[in-house]
Amino acid sequence: MSTAPDKLVERYLKHLEVELDDVPRDRRREIVDEIAGHIAEARAGLEHETEADVRNILDGLGDPAEIAAEARERFELPASRPAPYKAGWMEVGALVLLLIGGLIVPLFGWLIGVVLLWLSNAWNVRDKIIGTIFVPGGLGLSLFLLFFTASASFSGGSICDVDPSTGQDVNCIDSSTSSTDFFDVMKIVLLVAIVIAPLVTTAYLTYRLRRRPAAAMA
Amino acid sequence: MVAVKQEALLAQMRKGTLQYCVLALLSDEERYGFDLVRSLAETDGMVTSEGTIYPLLSRLRRDGLVETTWRESTSGPPRRYYRLTAAGRAALDAFRGEWGRFRDAVDHFVERKAG
Repeated sequence: MSTAPDKLVERYLKHLEVELDDVPRDRRREIVDEIAGHIAEARAGLEHETEADVRNILDGLGDPAEIAAEARERFELPASRPAPYKAGWMEVGALVLLLIGGLIVPLFGWLIGVVLLWLSNAWNVRDKIIGTIFVPGGLGLSLFLLFFTASASFSGGSICDVDPSTGQDVNCIDSSTSSTDFFDVMKIVLLVAIVIAPLVTTAYLTYRLRRRPAAAMA
Repeated sequence: MVAVKQEALLAQMRKGTLQYCVLALLSDEERYGFDLVRSLAETDGMVTSEGTIYPLLSRLRRDGLVETTWRESTSGPPRRYYRLTAAGRAALDAFRGEWGRFRDAVDHFVERKAG
């Protein structure tokens, strides 16, 4: 069995899902499920399915954009996709403050960024959650942790295992000796991750801003 | 410009009457989506893109004009069957009366002008 027809169907349904982006979720699901069922019924009725047959089925259903336009009209939604995908001051403000707001005014700068992020219509809920939890405080938190651990590592300390039979400390490892290299490496990896995470999140949110209008035109 | 307007007008007329065609198809028996769409598509000039029926079905269901039940199918996954409700039947009957008068009135003028 060739997989090309499956790919075509999959791509068609994906495209439809994107086009129905602004239609309420339950209705979007209903329409996509029914059309997936329609395709399955039509394919089941074929004796020897060819790629051309599947293309004809999809052509018969019509352009996903046309189906989405019909859905908007039937559900009395705005005729075209709303324009909030255009990045305005709110989106720029959210991106800047989420990243470095915590550096300008500790905590509050970042919090304002979060408020702007959730007020904006440019991102979906998943994007907003990602923007909020990676990483609370943005680079402000990263730098705070960087300073905190840098000063803490000067104070030293030791890690011990307790021998259960004697109750004595054994295998004491002084953090100033070279045997703590592993922990130091872990610490550095974590710190680097905490510095990079807000940068990655910002890049991701910026990418999502750019992606939307392209999808709307497709 | 005029041609575009006329095209849009015809599309609107088709769209406005399509839901009553769907209700009429359901007046004798319940049907599943693919079956309904195939019946509509068999008649030339009614539906250009089969997929556009599904938003309409969803809307009719939400308006309480049709209701749906899932039934097992012998040939594949379960199918969602559509059935007229009392409100759907009333809407269809009301439209039938109005449509008959409207069609006669339009014929009266259009056919005389053509002849």
